[in-house]
Amino acid sequence: MTTRGERLAMFASGLLLGAVLLVLYAPVAVGALFSVVRLQRGQILWDTASVQAYVHLLDNADILTALGTTALVAAVAVSAATVMALALALYVQSEGAFGRGFLELLVYLPFVMPPIVTGLSLLLFFSGLGLARDIATISIGHGVFVLAILYRTILVRLQSLPPSLAEASADLGATLGQTFRYVTLPYLRSALVTGALLALTLSFDETLITVFLAGDRMTLPLRLWAMMRVGFTPEINALITLVILASIGLAVGVAARLRGAGRLNV
Amino acid sequence: MSRAARGLLFGAVALLPVSLVLVPLGAFLLNSFYRVESNQIVRDLSLANYAAFFDNAAYWGVLLQTLWLCGRVSLICLLLAFPIAWFVWRQPLSRRYLLLLLIVLPLFMSYIVKLYAMRSILGLNGLLNQMLTGLGILERPTTALLYNQTAILATLAVLFLPFVVLPVFLSLERVPASLLQASADLGASPLVTFRHVVLPLALPGTVAGVLFAFVLALGDYITPQMVGGTSGFTYGRVIWSQFGLAYNWPLGAALGVILFLVCGAVIALAGAVSRRRRV
Repeated sequence: MTTRGERLAMFASGLLLGAVLLVLYAPVAVGALFSVVRLQRGQILWDTASVQAYVHLLDNADILTALGTTALVAAVAVSAATVMALALALYVQSEGAFGRGFLELLVYLPFVMPPIVTGLSLLLFFSGLGLARDIATISIGHGVFVLAILYRTILVRLQSLPPSLAEASADLGATLGQTFRYVTLPYLRSALVTGALLALTLSFDETLITVFLAGDRMTLPLRLWAMMRVGFTPEINALITLVILASIGLAVGVAARLRGAGRLNV
Repeated sequence: MSRAARGLLFGAVALLPVSLVLVPLGAFLLNSFYRVESNQIVRDLSLANYAAFFDNAAYWGVLLQTLWLCGRVSLICLLLAFPIAWFVWRQPLSRRYLLLLLIVLPLFMSYIVKLYAMRSILGLNGLLNQMLTGLGILERPTTALLYNQTAILATLAVLFLPFVVLPVFLSLERVPASLLQASADLGASPLVTFRHVVLPLALPGTVAGVLFAFVLALGDYITPQMVGGTSGFTYGRVIWSQFGLAYNWPLGAALGVILFLVCGAVIALAGAVSRRRRV
């Protein structure tokens, strides 16, 4: 049973949610709309509609290079971080492991610290080593940043692995390596994929750390930022529409994987 | 496994996290004690950079202003996020997670793209101005929408709102249904139940979410620059400028260490609050 007051509160907060969703999704809508049409004095010129902006993107060497850099960085950072996160989770869950709290602190720190601190500390570290800023330094920055989400996803799954499975495997004469290969790894597969997808989305968009580590290299967000400072063009709108669609695709992929598999307790 | 083997294993696992997280943080801290002389970094240890922060009102003043700005961002996020999370929580299960997904999805959209969109909505030739002039509400486009503190406030709130809705919703979801029924059975009105059952149980998650948004806003240095223009000189930008034009890395590092400490304190506070009341 609901009272009048409660219904009123529901109505008001529902209205608020609607308004907020409108504002949250305005970026997608505005970008997508103005990638195909032009606006003049509040009038949308429907007859100018065209997909030319998207075609022009393919001719823009700067954007294609930036896209390549972003993809390479994401691939390197996420695969390295996945292996590292797996090793860390296995170690932390192993019997008699010490320094658990210390390791977890190091894993979570770059994720919860302001990105400017993570970026700066890596910048100062690399320049102290005399390492030039390039794809490698960006990849390290992204790897350190996404490690937390991968570690957390893998650990939660690993904690739900019944110890009896590993024991049964050992009883049947399997070596540690065989147990890992045929029991643990298949059990962790879905967590590894989910974590990697989440990490890819983060790496794809990472800007605040990357700025410090990129030098003259441009990832896609950095290229977008540089283009933004110049002005608004249909090409930028086309590009951001594609970028947003890609991010949403990845995120929906993650959400679909999480359904039924239990919530992600980060 | 022997002690030595355990130590070796720990060393192997800890090697990368230590060398890529702990050592850089050490380098960061160390650099904050250096100084710059005629564009060269001098590796003498001193507290001069920290003294400069406390001596110069331009530095600590900006930090205070930024804290105030982020406080208001958090407050806006709280006032919007709580009713929204409550609404989603009161929905039937089938609709609940779809709504939640809709709210959280923007977090995965590119940060730079959202800034770009805010600019293209608020700018002089932006959507809002075009609409207002098109409808005849404004005679000519106004510059009042972009490049001021209000624009930064609105943009940061839009960026971080989902981060607050999520923890508030999760803590509401943890309120046992039996408590709500018991409260109703004892004759409490929905308002009384909300005040004495729901609110106290949801408070820790809410505080944690709000403080999280606060830390995120505090560390941001691109938003104030992109939508705040010259009036958006925040602490993050002061740090950032030491690595660009000003070229004073040691001072930038010292200012960064101060930011790190402030954020650490806020996160510790959030952790303490959310642990205190957990059932």
